[in-house]
Amino acid sequence: MSRYARRLDQDLARWREAGWLSADGEASIRRDVAGRSRSLEVAPVLGILGAVLIGFGAMSFVAAHWNEMARLLRLALIFSGLFGAYGLAGVLFDRDHPAFAHAAILTGVALFGAGIMLIAQMFHISGHAPDAVLTWALGALLAGIVLRSNPALALALLLMGLWSGWEMSDTNSVHWPFLIGWGAVAAAMLWREWIPGLHLAAIVLSIWVVTIGYFLLDGHGHGVVVAIGLIIAAVGLAGPVILGRWRTWGEAAIAYGMAIAFAGLFALQFIENPHLDNLILLAIVTLALVVGGIWIGLKNNNGSLLWLGYAGFSIEVLALYFKTVGTLLGSSLFFLSAGIIVILLAVAAYRLHSRVQPGVGAVP
Amino acid sequence: MMDINRRNMWIGIAVVAFVQAAFLGWMIWQRAHLLSTGHEVVLEVIPVDPRSLFQGDYVALGYDISRVPITEGRLKRGSTLYVTLQKTGDRWKPLSVSTKKPENLPPDQVLIKGRVEYASAPTSVSPGQATVRYGIEDFFVPEGTGQELEKLVGQKKLDALIAIDDAGIAGIKGLMVEGKRVYEEPLL
Repeated sequence: MSRYARRLDQDLARWREAGWLSADGEASIRRDVAGRSRSLEVAPVLGILGAVLIGFGAMSFVAAHWNEMARLLRLALIFSGLFGAYGLAGVLFDRDHPAFAHAAILTGVALFGAGIMLIAQMFHISGHAPDAVLTWALGALLAGIVLRSNPALALALLLMGLWSGWEMSDTNSVHWPFLIGWGAVAAAMLWREWIPGLHLAAIVLSIWVVTIGYFLLDGHGHGVVVAIGLIIAAVGLAGPVILGRWRTWGEAAIAYGMAIAFAGLFALQFIENPHLDNLILLAIVTLALVVGGIWIGLKNNNGSLLWLGYAGFSIEVLALYFKTVGTLLGSSLFFLSAGIIVILLAVAAYRLHSRVQPGVGAVP
Repeated sequence: MMDINRRNMWIGIAVVAFVQAAFLGWMIWQRAHLLSTGHEVVLEVIPVDPRSLFQGDYVALGYDISRVPITEGRLKRGSTLYVTLQKTGDRWKPLSVSTKKPENLPPDQVLIKGRVEYASAPTSVSPGQATVRYGIEDFFVPEGTGQELEKLVGQKKLDALIAIDDAGIAGIKGLMVEGKRVYEEPLL
């Protein structure tokens, strides 16, 4: 039973006892909920996990180097594995087992990647490795679009991230072509209207944006990261107000933007080694950002934003603690002032909150 | 997937499987074509890193041309470099290095295209130097035979048989010990 159904179950009993709901009404609601509930089934999840394991198995063949086999046999194995996996996917779609079919597609895509590596090894091709990852990602994207397979799209996205990360660590500079690859996969996810996929795309892009702070401006580009994050959060904040819709997307943008800005501020404070007065200023800005996030989370009843805020607050305070131990600014003095700032912010939030919703006391 | 009909589904399956298989086939064809039609060049294998040549399943091969002198100022990592090889005796030795592709080479010279790993700019007291990779540095070997090859590299007895196409792209065709071909793998 889902969390919603469990909670509804308790509420229904309470509402019926209070006399707000007839027994018939309760039964209808329960039937409706049971009919709509899409609980996660075990079989498809196991199918996906199985596909992942097979993929890893195929790749560990590279390590084992399968040198006992004749060359032609190895090639035959790669190609028959590829066709076999996709053929199996077709059969499974035909028999209405879409979840298993997607697992078979994922296996096919994994075998494609393994094939690239195995052929490179057989012919002693030692090219530029990130190019091989990009090719693999494009193969996954093709499968994702043509076969309308969300798991394949998710794999394509992760491979794009791996490609870009590898390029950046290799050349030590920002890898802009990532945006094209990311955009292609994100567009496919948008076309599929796959919400979890779009969140994955947002997470991957956020990580990329935070990463470029370490390469821009000779490795001191964290200020740019903060600016990008704040712009994204501002768009998320203002967009739905101006347009009157897309509230959920706006809240997601606020969360991602604030997380990006936080990561940038974190780097400015604890990786860049700023002067003490700058550190204090940045710490106040960071705490204000975090408390702002928590406040928006409470106001909009957005649990993810709330938890991101709590996590950010804890990380910031912990990092500041380690940074200030034994420095000019005593840790106790720091915590004292931080505590006062947070309480002042809390008072301000409380005032604002009770003005917006009279009669409501403390926030939950 | 449920919303499109079965025929389209099978067409989609066929498209994905054939496109991916075609790419893998193209990889093999391209390499087989290079190895069978490319210019054959023999390069002396020199030890790269005395600590560990043998890493897992492949032997790292170094060459004369893995480090080349450069006259250009700043060469970025990943940029292209062309080395002209000249036949001297049984082996081929580097003759000149250029960032642009030289044209109209005499028949005893072959061009090899490389990718710059690191480069130091020339100064008033020392010439610049670039570490270059040509895609012929990794030789995958059957498990357990790496140590033996490593010994041969250490004794400077090993040569590599390289095929190079007209664009300067190189591939390992085989290895030679004292002029005799060993480890020459069949194309298929």
